[in-house]
Amino acid sequence: MFLRLLYESFRRQRRRKLLAGVAILLGTTAVTAMLALATTIGDRIHQELAVYGANIVVTPVADSLDVKVGGVNLKPANGGAYLHESDLIKLRGIFWANNITGVSPELRVDSVAIVGNMNSAPIPVKERGLWFDHDLGGLRTGAPQLHPWWKLTGQWPQLFKGSDTFQVVLGASLAKRLNLKVGDGFILNGPTQQAVDGHGQASAVGIVSTGDDTDNEVLVPLQIAQGGLGADNAVSRVEISARTKPEDAFARSDPDKLTGKKHDLWYCSPYANSIAYQIREAIPGANAEQVRQVEQSEGTVLSRISGLMWLISAAALLAAGFAVSAAMATAILERRAEIGLMRSLGASRSAIALLFYSETGLLAVFAGACGYLIGSSLAAWLGAKIFATGTATTFASIHIATVLNPVLLPIVVGLALIVAIAGSTPAIRQALRMDPSSILRADA
Amino acid sequence: MRVLEETLSTPGTESVISLNAVTREYASHGNVVRALDSATFAINSGEWVAITGPSGSGKSTLVNMLGCLDRPTSGTLKIDGTDVASMSATELDRFRADKIGFIFQQFHLIPYLSAIENVMLAQYFHSMTDESEARVALEKVGLGARISHLPSELSGGEQQRVCIARALINNPPILLADEPTGNLDAANQKIVANLLGELHRYGHTIVMVTHDPEMAALAQRKIALSHGKVFCHPTSSSRMIRLQR
Ligand SMILES: Nc1ncnc2c1ncn2[C@@H]1O[C@H](COP(=O)(O)OP(=O)(O)OP(=O)(O)O)[C@@H](O)[C@H]1O
Ligand SMILES: [Mg+2]
Repeated sequence: MFLRLLYESFRRQRRRKLLAGVAILLGTTAVTAMLALATTIGDRIHQELAVYGANIVVTPVADSLDVKVGGVNLKPANGGAYLHESDLIKLRGIFWANNITGVSPELRVDSVAIVGNMNSAPIPVKERGLWFDHDLGGLRTGAPQLHPWWKLTGQWPQLFKGSDTFQVVLGASLAKRLNLKVGDGFILNGPTQQAVDGHGQASAVGIVSTGDDTDNEVLVPLQIAQGGLGADNAVSRVEISARTKPEDAFARSDPDKLTGKKHDLWYCSPYANSIAYQIREAIPGANAEQVRQVEQSEGTVLSRISGLMWLISAAALLAAGFAVSAAMATAILERRAEIGLMRSLGASRSAIALLFYSETGLLAVFAGACGYLIGSSLAAWLGAKIFATGTATTFASIHIATVLNPVLLPIVVGLALIVAIAGSTPAIRQALRMDPSSILRADA
Repeated sequence: MRVLEETLSTPGTESVISLNAVTREYASHGNVVRALDSATFAINSGEWVAITGPSGSGKSTLVNMLGCLDRPTSGTLKIDGTDVASMSATELDRFRADKIGFIFQQFHLIPYLSAIENVMLAQYFHSMTDESEARVALEKVGLGARISHLPSELSGGEQQRVCIARALINNPPILLADEPTGNLDAANQKIVANLLGELHRYGHTIVMVTHDPEMAALAQRKIALSHGKVFCHPTSSSRMIRLQR
């Protein structure tokens, strides 16, 4: 009988139910979209802003007092000025290891290129050793990941051990200057190498356009650059991209002056500062600094966006609550005589309240579930729109699968229930307050 | 109309309803309307009482209070020995479901439920639904063939019989009828009158509001209301109700 009454109520007051349902649907759609975006947006924005570079840079300690002229390292190639490539794996062991999303070491070498026959004049070129697709203890990373705006024709170099030739990628300007195309070979020798017997036979497998100095460089696998410099395991600089908490006053504290608990709290917060601190601890002879501007804007954008989202979500839910309230008020008004009759048949207030709350509850669950699905799709679509800007298109595709977060379903349906129940309570309370005798008499 | 087996219960001497100076006032637009003015009388178990009086004299007000849909402003109202004022709202709902069956002038059937579902609704709010019992109740009022019809598909007389079946389904000792034949033609009035007669013979206490002298004449006793005041008529135990096919 209870189900029959519920069913009939939905069948007969279809319009009102539809109205309330649509209100809940819209509210939960907005909330789902916001929540889905808020949970994924941190990552997305981070990736977007990673376009502007890494947010932590690691250099050798001796190098912090370094003299750089036009980007060329004038420091002598002694061991102290370099980091060890083999130490980088320690990044995977620091407290916030999982927040590190990209690691890109580099080694700059002043080399010479010989294009054409062996007798051509050597041309000085800036050689840069990089990781392109390196497995750092399970993290696949490298320079292309940290520089998503680099435009590549051809492919990134691969390293073939034991081979006399190696693959390189040429900066666009350099390629033009040397008149080299993808597929061409030339000789590339580091300071410790002689151009004998075709040693240093390089094969250009790609040309990269970056819009900065890199356009004048030749990019090679890190190991090749180390060979050219005669310094195995050497790395001159490491760019690191990490997910961080926006910087606040506490983030700027000097960890060595913090005491006990505070120090632990600072250490265990993913501030760029504390991650940098942990990197310094982990890697001997390393100086790790956060790259400020990017870090700051990332934090501000994030907090601003999530603030706005909560506001919109709250407004959407509030509006849904009012719509439900209005719809229920009219729906119950229409059924006053019915309620009076039920009371005369001995129905208790709670029995009638149960009936109406079940109605709205059912509506809320259904509309909330639909809102969840629609909201998730909306988030996917919005995400694609928001992030599909500029050059970072490849990063932008947020798939529905990644946004369809099952944890959100009970949250959203729960919110829908709360809103529906809160919204219909005034109407239901009023219905229960009505004097049943007057309801019957009103009709009589 | 099938005549029910002779179970003439002698009208009990204990009063199932007793009013002592019951007053009901309504405050509306600043002035107080005294719809019922210190009504004092008792109705015995198994009695059939007719309440008469001009429009606005407080008949419905009285019935609503007897049905525990409303409470007296002052005075004591006891039903089945229990002071209504002593009961909480929830207890009153329970009490109503157990003790009272309502028959309305406007029938008050739920339009989207079939005849049998309307009867089952009363079962639902009382305890639990029992379809076969509901069917039997409708058969008793001669609607065995119409159980799945909607109220709109039934005549006024038939609707009133559904209403009676619904009032009886939980076997309440007291039946309250506010102008049960007010909307019916002579033929249907006769059917309803006969049904009420049968219920009376079954031992139900019937309190019936009516304008119709013919209907009032069926009752054992008349209570006349005028401007909220009660004039009791003596019990006319000599009157016999004839039940006929
Ligand atoms: N809720 C209310 N508020 C104010 N006054 C009311 C209310 N209900 C009833 N009254 C007044 O109480 C008086 C008695 O009303 P009641 O409905 O009991 O009359 P009645 O005898 O049933 O009349 P009728 O024969 O027309 O049905 C009337 O004057 C009516 O206006
Ligand atoms: Mg009346």
